Amino acid sequence: MATTTLPARAARRSAAARRRDRSATFAFWVLMSPMVVGLLLFTVIPIVWGLLLSFTDARSQITVGDWIGFENYQWVLGQQEFLRSLRTILVFTVFIVPLTFAVSLGLALLVDRAGWGRGIFRTAFFIPTAISYVVASLVWKLGLFNSLPYGVANLGLSNFGIDPIVWIGPGDIPWYWVVLVTVRLWLQVGFYMIIFIAGLQEIPKDLYESAFVDGGRPGWTTFRTITLPLLRNTSIAVIVLSLINAFQAFDEFYNVLGGGSFASGGNLSLARPPLVWLYQTAFGGQEYGRGSAGAFILTALIIAVTLIQGRVLGFGRSSAEK
Amino acid sequence: MATTLPGGRPAPRRGGSYWGRLRGRRVLGTVAVYAALIVLAALFLLPFYVMVRSALMTNRQITAFEWLWLPNPPQWDNLRELLDESDILIGLRNSAGIAIIQVVCQTLFAAMAGYALARIPVRGRDLVFFGLLTTLMIPSAVTFVPTYAVVSWLGGVGTLWGIIVPGLFNVFATFLFRQFYLDFPVEIEEAGRLDGAGYFRTFFGLALPNSYGIMAALGALSFIGSWNAFLWPLVIGGQDAKTVQVVLSSFLTAQTIDLAQLFMAAVVGAAPLVIIFLVLQRYIVEGVKLSGIKG
Amino acid sequence: MAKQQQAPIIGDPRLAGWRRHPLDRRAFIRTLTFAAGAVYAGSRQAQGTVAQGTTTLTQWYHQYGEAGTEDAVRRYAQEYTEANPNVEVEVNWTVGDYPTILNTALVGGQAPDLFESSPNLDWVRNGLIAPLDDLIPEDIRADFNPRELATNTIEGQLYGVKIVVDTGGIYYRPSYLEQAGLQPPTNVDELIAAATALTDGPVKGLFLGNDGGISSMQQIMPWAAGSDFITADNQVVFDNPATILAYEKLRELNQTDALLVGAPTDWFQPDSLIQGLVAMQWGGLWAMPQVTEELEDDFGFIAFPPLAGASGGPAQPTPATFLGGWSQLVNAKSPNLDAAKAYAKYLWVDNTEAQRDFNLSYGFHVPPRISVAQAAEPLQSGPPAEAVNILNQYGRSLSPLWTGAMGAALGDAVTRIVREGADATAEVTAAAETTRQELQRLLG
Repeated sequence: MATTTLPARAARRSAAARRRDRSATFAFWVLMSPMVVGLLLFTVIPIVWGLLLSFTDARSQITVGDWIGFENYQWVLGQQEFLRSLRTILVFTVFIVPLTFAVSLGLALLVDRAGWGRGIFRTAFFIPTAISYVVASLVWKLGLFNSLPYGVANLGLSNFGIDPIVWIGPGDIPWYWVVLVTVRLWLQVGFYMIIFIAGLQEIPKDLYESAFVDGGRPGWTTFRTITLPLLRNTSIAVIVLSLINAFQAFDEFYNVLGGGSFASGGNLSLARPPLVWLYQTAFGGQEYGRGSAGAFILTALIIAVTLIQGRVLGFGRSSAEK
Repeated sequence: MATTLPGGRPAPRRGGSYWGRLRGRRVLGTVAVYAALIVLAALFLLPFYVMVRSALMTNRQITAFEWLWLPNPPQWDNLRELLDESDILIGLRNSAGIAIIQVVCQTLFAAMAGYALARIPVRGRDLVFFGLLTTLMIPSAVTFVPTYAVVSWLGGVGTLWGIIVPGLFNVFATFLFRQFYLDFPVEIEEAGRLDGAGYFRTFFGLALPNSYGIMAALGALSFIGSWNAFLWPLVIGGQDAKTVQVVLSSFLTAQTIDLAQLFMAAVVGAAPLVIIFLVLQRYIVEGVKLSGIKG
Repeated sequence: MAKQQQAPIIGDPRLAGWRRHPLDRRAFIRTLTFAAGAVYAGSRQAQGTVAQGTTTLTQWYHQYGEAGTEDAVRRYAQEYTEANPNVEVEVNWTVGDYPTILNTALVGGQAPDLFESSPNLDWVRNGLIAPLDDLIPEDIRADFNPRELATNTIEGQLYGVKIVVDTGGIYYRPSYLEQAGLQPPTNVDELIAAATALTDGPVKGLFLGNDGGISSMQQIMPWAAGSDFITADNQVVFDNPATILAYEKLRELNQTDALLVGAPTDWFQPDSLIQGLVAMQWGGLWAMPQVTEELEDDFGFIAFPPLAGASGGPAQPTPATFLGGWSQLVNAKSPNLDAAKAYAKYLWVDNTEAQRDFNLSYGFHVPPRISVAQAAEPLQSGPPAEAVNILNQYGRSLSPLWTGAMGAALGDAVTRIVREGADATAEVTAAAETTRQELQRLLG
């Protein structure tokens, strides 16, 4: 008997383990199933379909099969306006990301220093997060930056004897950037401010004290030597998020510059980010093959930028630190 | 505590502490901080003020070349006219329904998947996780038309569910839930397991009920996203399932622009979310903090 | 050990350190309950019950701006159902970017049975739109303007029935012109001079759209210079000195201080003229009732003036306007194709009363049937008569083979010429080259 117990027990145990494995596998897939099925249907199939479309001569239809190789990709890369849209988004990003960073960090520091009324101020800066791009664009375009003399900004300027400015239009000075940048800032800095406030609160207060003892002067020095380095992870998160969002900008360009009822209308050609260009190509021009090719080129760029940025900012390292 | 020498010069460093030193500058600093805060807060609230002010004015007052601070008298008829003559109430109702279903299902599905990915050791799990993460990289513009085709093939065009269902699967939320459940104290779960509870009972009975915080946080954020979505509801919903954003945009594209009505519509369209926002602010702040976590 | 093995409950102290986001569970559940209730109330949609044996047709319109138009088309549909109880028509009044919404529906296989648009070759080749030749019998065909039929004809077959015919021109305020001692301009140089002379502080001389006329003038000015785009025998002809001069003049106009830009509404809406922001505005005939109501006698209407001195185009400089409008198309894949065609025939071929009403009772359009147009009392005198006259003499359309890709290429070229001072000759030549390639690809 004694000689048989060991293997028998092992066999029993492995049977139990297998049973446990099976039940684990079952539970795993049941819990995963809504997500997996949903993503298959509404993300994976569309991605594959889009990829196939990008190799198809698909005009006014999305049936796959009229293969034309890389012609769509060639066409997109040969389009002056597509390349220009990449430049446009680059310019936009160069403005919006540092501005978002500086303003939201500034607001966070101010709110963090306020004692009384901190909650009120935080709410005031944060509440634009609740507003949609449609509503904000409408207020910006027809209220604040209305180009007529009764626009709020123009009325304000008239107090200083400045003539009304055409904010959204083909002038020599591209004032529309003021409109586009401020609307996005207003909508998103509150969001990033909250992230920064959370980061600030995790900095141990005694660090400041010991720095002082070591000769660090409060203010700029401690901000540079303590606050910023300790906000490193938070800062990276803010930069990455705002960068990815900036790259996919569509709504404010479409609603602020667009003419309203038609894809081609209005002043969209003043500043066209890639998604607007894609939208016009695919939907306005009904060139679904070319549109898909452009979309994949854009995807490749986004992934590349994210990876390069990860390298530069030490993306992987920072998360391990925490 | 702040020691200041008679000459008004700050005490030598050794004499004061950091906080003492800070307090020395405090009066001036506090004034500056509050001045800055008040000016900035006024700037941030200005668009709201312009919105509400214009909504309660006549068109003639809005387009007047002299600035009017307050509508006098407030044109409450603008509101009545809007409610009577536009589809904004239908839009509000649809948007509320869509947002609530999306919030509940999105959060639940993400929690389920996040838990499975964090806590159930299965071969190929990392592969599944990696696959999910890749989908995060693809901008939605790529999949817009094919997704439309899939939804239309399923018969979802012109329906509320056609707007709702494709938005129920949030990979980012799944990722956050996974991070969250990775930190779930192991010994508690094991205690539950020994008690004979299976994975489902552990998840639904133990893990999920202890996830209200993160659920509320992510749910509040997804409510905002759902309420403010524009392009997809515009193309899918059409006339039969208008959301509030679609109704709002129709004011922008109408061939004759009635500015007062337009601003009133903006106020009515934005107000529910602003109120919800104020009530649920705590959860939303948590959600934002979570969304800042990166991997 | 055993006694501690029960599953931990919420609030278990062992969880305290772990729960980073402690929240009031009751408040959370209250919110959820509220949410569930709201969902229930909010998601229930009124579903119309359909009687047995009834065909339901769906019909899409873009959003016309004039008050009453939506009610009108719904009324026509109802009248049809009253006469044909087994057919119901569901009207969809589409707000927003109509072409995009329609295109998406078409490629997604969810197109309505009937929709407004203009036919194009790809739709024909892909079998998306149904030929409609049999809707217009020979004797009635003579009652339609041949040019209108031509814009709806592709490869010899008719794919659309005109619903409304639109045209445009320059609205001007005689009182403003008088004050400046000016006559309505008779050529482009006079137009530029007048616009400059009429500019006075916030009041500008001319409004061509918020983009400075880049989209509204894209075809009109070359036509005024005697140029054309794609001819009836499918030749691309716009790379000529006349087109180049036309865009250079548009640039010249944009470099004056005389153009209004940044108005709340665009050129297809008359608000800028009515509110006194400009002395002259490019606009559509459809806006004329509104302009008349607001300005009464103080407006005149002329065609876009000829670009005198232009040469090298296929024709001589001429006053210019467009022959536009919307056509009824029928979805070739509709399960109710016959019923849809029958309704299209009823509504826009046989039902002259609906045609009269829709074209004249709200905004002004020219009824597509000649007999209806000739009997149209509002179009008999004054500026409306002038507009019809201009349309009949000078109205032109783009070839049905003109595609979005061609439009984008030309539009981008004009943008660069006007805004960035790009070399007009090079830009026009390149755009024509692209257009030829696209045409080749299209006819493939």
